[in-house]
Amino acid sequence: MVELMGRAIGMGWPVLLMLVGLLLYFQVSISDPVKKKRASFQTLIGILCAFLALMAISNYTHNFEGESRLLPVSLVMITIMSFVMGLYFPNISALMKIGGFMFFVAAALSGYGNWLPQVEGGFPPPVVKLDFQSMSSQQLGDEGEKIIFGGIGQSKTQGAIGKGQCPLCHGFQQGFLSERAPNLYGIPDRAIERLKEPNYHMNNVAARTTEQKEAFPGSGTATNAQEYIAESHACPSCFVVTGFGVKGSNDGTSPMPKIHKPPISLTIGELAAVDTWMYTREGKEAPAYDVIATSYEKFIPEADRPAAGGEEEKGAGGNILADGSEPTDKLFMKAGCPACHTIPGIQDAVGKVGPLLMEGSNAPNRLKDPTYKGKAKSPKEYITESILNPSAYVVKDFPDNQMPKDFGVRLTGGALNKIVDYLAQLKEGQPLPPKE
Amino acid sequence: MGRLFNQMTRGKKKLLAVSALMVMGGLLLLPIFLSVTAVASGGGAPAGGPPADVVAAQKAGEEGEAEKVEMGRDIYYKTEGPAIGDGAPVTADNETFYPRYNFESRVLLWVANQQHLYYGSFVLAVPIFCMCIEFAGMVSKDKAMAKKYDQLAYDFIKISLTAYSLTAILGGILIFTFLTLYPAFFGYLSSIFRPVMHIYALTFVAESGVLYIYYYGWDKMREGVLKWVHLSMSVILNVIGTVLMFLANSWIAFMMSPAGVDEQGRYLGNIWHVIHTALWNPLNVHRILGNMAFGGGVVAAYAAYRFLSSKTDEERAHYDWMGYIAMSLGVAFLIPLPFAGYWLMREVYAYRQQMGITLMGGLLAWLFIIQATMIGILFLTTNYYLWQALGRMTGGERFQKYIKYLVFILVCGLLVFITPHTIVMTPAELKAMGGQQHPVLGNYGVMSAKNGGINAIIMTTIISFIWYQRGNRVPTVSWAKFGNIFMGCFFVIAQLNNIWLACYGYFIPANVRIGLSVPQVAGTLSCLFLMTPLNLAMLKNGRQLGPIRWGQIPPRSQYAIIMLATAFTWMMGLMGYIRSSVRLFWHVNEVMRDNSPWAYTHTIGFAANVISFNVLFFWISIMFVFWLGTLGAKKIPVPAQAGQPVPSPQPATGH
Repeated sequence: MVELMGRAIGMGWPVLLMLVGLLLYFQVSISDPVKKKRASFQTLIGILCAFLALMAISNYTHNFEGESRLLPVSLVMITIMSFVMGLYFPNISALMKIGGFMFFVAAALSGYGNWLPQVEGGFPPPVVKLDFQSMSSQQLGDEGEKIIFGGIGQSKTQGAIGKGQCPLCHGFQQGFLSERAPNLYGIPDRAIERLKEPNYHMNNVAARTTEQKEAFPGSGTATNAQEYIAESHACPSCFVVTGFGVKGSNDGTSPMPKIHKPPISLTIGELAAVDTWMYTREGKEAPAYDVIATSYEKFIPEADRPAAGGEEEKGAGGNILADGSEPTDKLFMKAGCPACHTIPGIQDAVGKVGPLLMEGSNAPNRLKDPTYKGKAKSPKEYITESILNPSAYVVKDFPDNQMPKDFGVRLTGGALNKIVDYLAQLKEGQPLPPKE
Repeated sequence: MGRLFNQMTRGKKKLLAVSALMVMGGLLLLPIFLSVTAVASGGGAPAGGPPADVVAAQKAGEEGEAEKVEMGRDIYYKTEGPAIGDGAPVTADNETFYPRYNFESRVLLWVANQQHLYYGSFVLAVPIFCMCIEFAGMVSKDKAMAKKYDQLAYDFIKISLTAYSLTAILGGILIFTFLTLYPAFFGYLSSIFRPVMHIYALTFVAESGVLYIYYYGWDKMREGVLKWVHLSMSVILNVIGTVLMFLANSWIAFMMSPAGVDEQGRYLGNIWHVIHTALWNPLNVHRILGNMAFGGGVVAAYAAYRFLSSKTDEERAHYDWMGYIAMSLGVAFLIPLPFAGYWLMREVYAYRQQMGITLMGGLLAWLFIIQATMIGILFLTTNYYLWQALGRMTGGERFQKYIKYLVFILVCGLLVFITPHTIVMTPAELKAMGGQQHPVLGNYGVMSAKNGGINAIIMTTIISFIWYQRGNRVPTVSWAKFGNIFMGCFFVIAQLNNIWLACYGYFIPANVRIGLSVPQVAGTLSCLFLMTPLNLAMLKNGRQLGPIRWGQIPPRSQYAIIMLATAFTWMMGLMGYIRSSVRLFWHVNEVMRDNSPWAYTHTIGFAANVISFNVLFFWISIMFVFWLGTLGAKKIPVPAQAGQPVPSPQPATGH
């Protein structure tokens, strides 16, 4: 609070000074004691309101990128200021009361938004080049589970979702009610049965009544179970399971996107991993990688096959080191900090190239250092600045330009906040902060 | 010349004025007409129509020189067309594609866009109100009432006109911001929409011209044929405004559900496909209704401000009436808005199911919980205003003792409505809670129960409105008793049906449960469309218990109006954010990827803070505009004694 008041005065002292000057001026310029008293009182109220407004602005600017949950406090301050002015300045009473009420409504709604659980949509996961072809069935299956559910062992967690986004619509557990798309439990056995259904029209694409008759001209239909799974991924509208078509299309169009196309864009290797998991998790022997790959090549023309680590590597997603969803130790490890810094509490962080990051103690001292020329006003701002712009202040006895300067584009906002939060809690002589 | 004009007969003057207006209107519309026909016929460069490369490509295609022109397949319409240009740029995270200015570019663009949208919505909505109110005044047989309506319409357009120039300035700022912060993205969009960009500009010019003629010609065209000409101009004004909005909507619809381009984002020569994407029409309808509700809210807030700062009873009476009309219009358009939203969402699901799920059951689902809360707040506030308004009617007090029961139903309905069923959580939260559904609350928030909650709220609002209609009147028709019993039974049955279906939903599978919304909504709509007219029929020639004492309403009722206006504005910002964020890391969905450092989705709290900033920025600026407007207003000629009853509102200002 004291810090906030200090910042407010630092920011708006000319305004406050002007109002104090006005107060003094009224003392000498108004002779009528009643008028003088009223003018002095109103000016004092004005000073109080101006101070409240400055505190509100200071809190807003200070916490905009950091503790955004504190921002509604600014709105509450302005609400109070507006109502106080509405009470004591009759000429603008209606305007100030209305304004105050609007700030109150906005503060309430903003506060509500900040009170709810905070979910941040990270960048699309970085693409890691994997050699699917040389993996064992078990490894392929694990990768498949990661693609579908976001991690190994996540298939039993309700709501878990990975790059493939399959659980958004499909159920995967036996007996699980799957309303948007068929439950995929038992698909290795069921696939062959699908081929026999009358509206599948195996080897007779012309007879199909679906929106798309075959994946591409000449691709034909599936002739075995694996090909059926491949066709379902590459051309969902070639055959639609009864009851799961787009409403009004009479099961002629599937709502499912082509999995090898944006926005999901799985490569043939990734699709092979997904398919392998669907076999192995039911204890069934999965077809060999080459068999699965060939089945997809039948339905995805060469020009349409996404390259592993292709486009994504050019984008932000490919450059991102960490997105903030990682546990604390892993987050620091992925960001690369332990290579150069000693960070208390972080596993293997014993680097000596950069300074010890006891920032809860260090940062306040650095801000007071007369040689400090950065823009930070608080320890957290200082830590953020040190990560994003390492040359803003170089700790004595350490060389400049050693630390990379591109963390601003290689860490997501969530990752940066998490690093800053942890470092800011490290204080000499105090217990280590909790880790996620 | 002046003398000659003075010597002309009145009839000739009128004829001359009408001719001059028609010529002027024609001149304003001519460039648009020429451009549209040029685009439609596929030629007309450079003043209109597709660029020369498109024409050349089309010709080449027609002449069978397929080997020279690469053909592309429309990603939505699946039609073939000559691929023009290099397609959507593949951007990278560097200053060339995404210049940096020490602040998050996305938030800057968000603010610029939202402000332009707020003002744009307002200035497009108000002329529609004016048209309706002016028409009501013209057909009214009561001369005093006709004059009041005319004055009200004029007051509305006066407010809008002050905001109009600010809208244009904000439009300029938006383009500048877009161009500066996202040059590659803007470049791509403008290359796609190039064939119609000049039409957009010409439409804006025509809109401005017609608006100024409409406003400044008010006094000159106040009687006879000229009044009809004046009204016709408001129709033209609204047609142009609507076209303008549809063109602007086509950009955002293209970004969400692109069409008219191939997979690489190359334009295929058919601008209609680019404009008429899967989500364009649902967005258009949703925005028209949203604009009207928002415009009503802003005008009502203006009236509330003038009411609260009024010095005389006449002023208070006028602005009380104005606020009531504006709020009623706003709420009238609020009621169909959820249905338009439902259509939009259905089209989103039809276009891309995972987009719909991201909205309703995924990353953005919590924002819909906020939306549900806000809808509840809007209806609660509307009811509160109507109950306050009952106080200015002799006879209104007989309903006061029943209001507590309505409050009970409304609160219960709201609590059920905002209870979530499945919620988005982190794995740690999932583990802590033992599943995706809360052990207690998870049992309650199913769709049929939520539908039951909101339908109970809407039905209660209808009851409040019917009571308001009956405030100072008693039905005297011979079948009044039967009518009352019928009406009471109808509401009870509709409410019981609603509650029964809400409970029944727990015992049937989710896919069947969805179907229950139809009979629930049908019950509510029946109450609205059958009971309200029935009530009016019963009140025809009814016994008056006393006049409506316009202006004699507690000031807190005006705060209810301000609450409505602020909540409308906030909800508009929220829904705009949701619509825009659903593209996730795509500038143009599945065509042009966002590779900027801001390609992630913010937390709900951050979004709520920016929305609040936008809302307050808009209100501070428009309050300033209102205040500017009052500087030019004439003083009220006849002051009245405070505290005396005022039978009916009088115009506050002349023009």
